[in-house]
Amino acid sequence: MKVTVKSWTGVATWRWIANDDNCGICRMPFDSCCPDCKLPGDDCPLVWGACSHCFHIHCIVKWLHSQPQQQCPMCRQDWKFNNK
Amino acid sequence: MSQKSDELKIYWKKIKYAFPILNNTLPTECTDQEYEEITQIIVGLGIQVKIRDLVLVHVEKYLRVYVAPSFWSKFTKVEEDIKAFQLFKSAVNDLYDSVNQFSDMLRRLKHLNNECCDNRPIFGEKDVILGFKQLLRATLLSQLPTTYYIIINHFYELSFNVFDNMKSSDMDEDICLGCWNEYSECNCAYIVKVFYDTNKKLVELQLLERLAGQVLTNFIQKKIEVHIRKICTGAFDVSHMSHLEDWLDTTVMTWLTRIYSAGSSQAPPGIKYAITKFKQKLSFFLYQTYTKLRIDQLFNIIIEYPDSQPAIDDIKTCLESTNLCPLLCKKLQTALETRLLHPGVNTPDILTAYISTIRALRHLDPSGIILETVTKPVRNYLRNREDTVRSVVSSLTEEGTGSELAEELAKFAAENDEDNEKEEAWDDWYPDPVDADPRRAQGPKGSDIISMLVNVYGSKELFVNEYRTLLADRLLAQGDINTEKEIRYLELLKLRFGESQLHFCEVMLKDISDSKRINTLISQDKNFAEMNAKFSSNAMILSAQFWPPFKDESLELPEEIKQHLAEYTKAYEGLKGNRTLSWKPHLGNVNIEIEIGEKKLDLTVSPFNATLIMHFQNKPEWLLEELHDIMKVPMTVLRRKITYWQSLGLITEKSSDYYVLVDGSEANKANVPSNQVQEMICEDEETESVMASAHDQREGELQVFWSYIVGMLTNLDSLPLERIHQMLKMFASQAPGTECSLNELRQFLDTKVRTHQLVLQGGMYKLPKL
Ligand SMILES: [Zn+2]
Ligand SMILES: [Zn+2]
Ligand SMILES: [Zn+2]
Repeated sequence: MKVTVKSWTGVATWRWIANDDNCGICRMPFDSCCPDCKLPGDDCPLVWGACSHCFHIHCIVKWLHSQPQQQCPMCRQDWKFNNK
Repeated sequence: MSQKSDELKIYWKKIKYAFPILNNTLPTECTDQEYEEITQIIVGLGIQVKIRDLVLVHVEKYLRVYVAPSFWSKFTKVEEDIKAFQLFKSAVNDLYDSVNQFSDMLRRLKHLNNECCDNRPIFGEKDVILGFKQLLRATLLSQLPTTYYIIINHFYELSFNVFDNMKSSDMDEDICLGCWNEYSECNCAYIVKVFYDTNKKLVELQLLERLAGQVLTNFIQKKIEVHIRKICTGAFDVSHMSHLEDWLDTTVMTWLTRIYSAGSSQAPPGIKYAITKFKQKLSFFLYQTYTKLRIDQLFNIIIEYPDSQPAIDDIKTCLESTNLCPLLCKKLQTALETRLLHPGVNTPDILTAYISTIRALRHLDPSGIILETVTKPVRNYLRNREDTVRSVVSSLTEEGTGSELAEELAKFAAENDEDNEKEEAWDDWYPDPVDADPRRAQGPKGSDIISMLVNVYGSKELFVNEYRTLLADRLLAQGDINTEKEIRYLELLKLRFGESQLHFCEVMLKDISDSKRINTLISQDKNFAEMNAKFSSNAMILSAQFWPPFKDESLELPEEIKQHLAEYTKAYEGLKGNRTLSWKPHLGNVNIEIEIGEKKLDLTVSPFNATLIMHFQNKPEWLLEELHDIMKVPMTVLRRKITYWQSLGLITEKSSDYYVLVDGSEANKANVPSNQVQEMICEDEETESVMASAHDQREGELQVFWSYIVGMLTNLDSLPLERIHQMLKMFASQAPGTECSLNELRQFLDTKVRTHQLVLQGGMYKLPKL
């Protein structure tokens, strides 16, 4: 008997490679989206700071706008976007 | 003194001469002139009242002792029609004659009564003649023998039969169908004559209604029943009301008038009244009979709704003038129970019938009371069927015209649009008139059919959840699903159930269309293209947070497949920075070609089946335990699933838990034609959901309460449902899984009862004794 695979359609779930499961600002899972968004992933991406903390981009931008100082809400270091 | 006494004796003799009834006889030779003299004597003596009363006493006695017994003596138990016919005829004739014998005397009594000037009623009547007739009827009826109806029945049945067959005399027959005599001796004409004659006399005596009324009524009712049954078979799409009324008005009433008017088609005024009353009775009976018949057919009428609307309209009209509503409810409920509510009927069929019932009964009774009463058992039953939610969901999203619910959903959307337009035209608004149709005033769209169905199971959430599970299964089962169409349905559902609940499904659909794009992009990746030269590998990439939970199943894929998928992951990571994939190895589908002997099989199978057969390619004999070690699948599952290849004749269980590949030559014999194989695969793939069902999910959430419940019952021994619910609210409200309705709790506890973790006794839940 000879078995030939012609095509294989698998099922996978995607996830962000991050050091935490949830966004420290909105508390939602990273793999979900921020409260302002409807669609996860491309439409509500994560960003990393120089401090290596990461958030939904919409969450950190909102946070920075509301703060006098541009600091990471987790470690209070100055926030710099890290183009990892 | 003696002279006076002699005088009185002579007067008394004269009085008895004028009123022989005082000697219990009727005939007299007394002339009017003589009578005039005697009256003067009576008045002269001032005894007119006494004499009149004495005569009346004797009249009463005479009727009681002679007339009535002689009349009833003819009412014997006779078997033969014609004998009975003659008996009844002579009874009526004799009665008529003896009543006529009274006429001279009555005339004189009337005269005497006028001299009394005391206006005393004569047997309840002002007039002597009327009083006499009243007395006659009362006396006759007071002696009514129990078997009186026998000869009357015979008499009328024989006559009716003659009438019935008068028009349609079929001359081919030797025997007259009217009187059952040979044609040469046909008696019909005689029977008709006697019939009219007898009726005429009974009408005059005012006895027709009392003696023959019941027989006539029975007879006509029988005719009505036969007629209704004849015209109301099968078709429900025609209204019969006006036809039936017409038929009663013309055919039946004309016939009846002729009987009452002794052959004339114009009834005299007194009789007209009797006929009108009769007609009211018959008309009521007609409605009753028709409605009862329709009630017996109601289940079928409902199934054919809206084509059967005319029948429903008829019932509606009839219910207004009959008291059959309780009967209707009882019978329809029984019909629904016996026709629908048992394990042999598919849930979709029950739903279809339930929807028809809702529609038809809404039309029949806009107040909704009948619907509420009748369908209660249906709702209870549906609630306990496991696949109800699933059936509703799938029929909601079913393609094309067949699905009632899909139409209902579309209708809802259309109505919503209309409402929006109406809102814009707010300045055209006027208050509803006072007598506004209550159906419209009934208000919220929530009372539509879909809500009625959704409410069967308690919550909208449970329902939407099930929709999500179903959608997930379909998306995974057929990767090339028409997402545009699904999105259209989703939009409809959103209108119905709200945006937030269905947002998850939107993401799921987007995942599928995104996956297609990603697959195309990745297949252009250089490294991966090399890999793909051997066979193409695709992925459905899901946003886990938005999909229903998957059933946990393990499966270790063959090494080459794992490498291939790892390569896909690498390409994905290159495409989407900072993101990676976790594979669900047991999900998906595999297209394989199997060459065995001279046969080639092209199959689409599950990853499990593909992995298994690939292992057998490398090594033709396997112990179950070895397969378990290499595939990481529980042995019970293996044992169950391997049957797929056994059924195809490719693998056989040589001895217990020892599986062997069937070699080429044998396989040729065993092989099933490949088209048949495909069918079997379809079945295999679709039977099982890969999702944890909504029920399982919710049950998982409710498990949180279980320890509380066990605690309660340990301390308090036994508790009713409501009490458990109350206590949970108090103690366990902070627990995750939060709110739990009474209904959900009941279902949860019932599953515990089924699995013998609880005992339900007299409405109280208990822990089983150990
Ligand atoms: Zn966030
Ligand atoms: Zn966002
Ligand atoms: Zn930080």
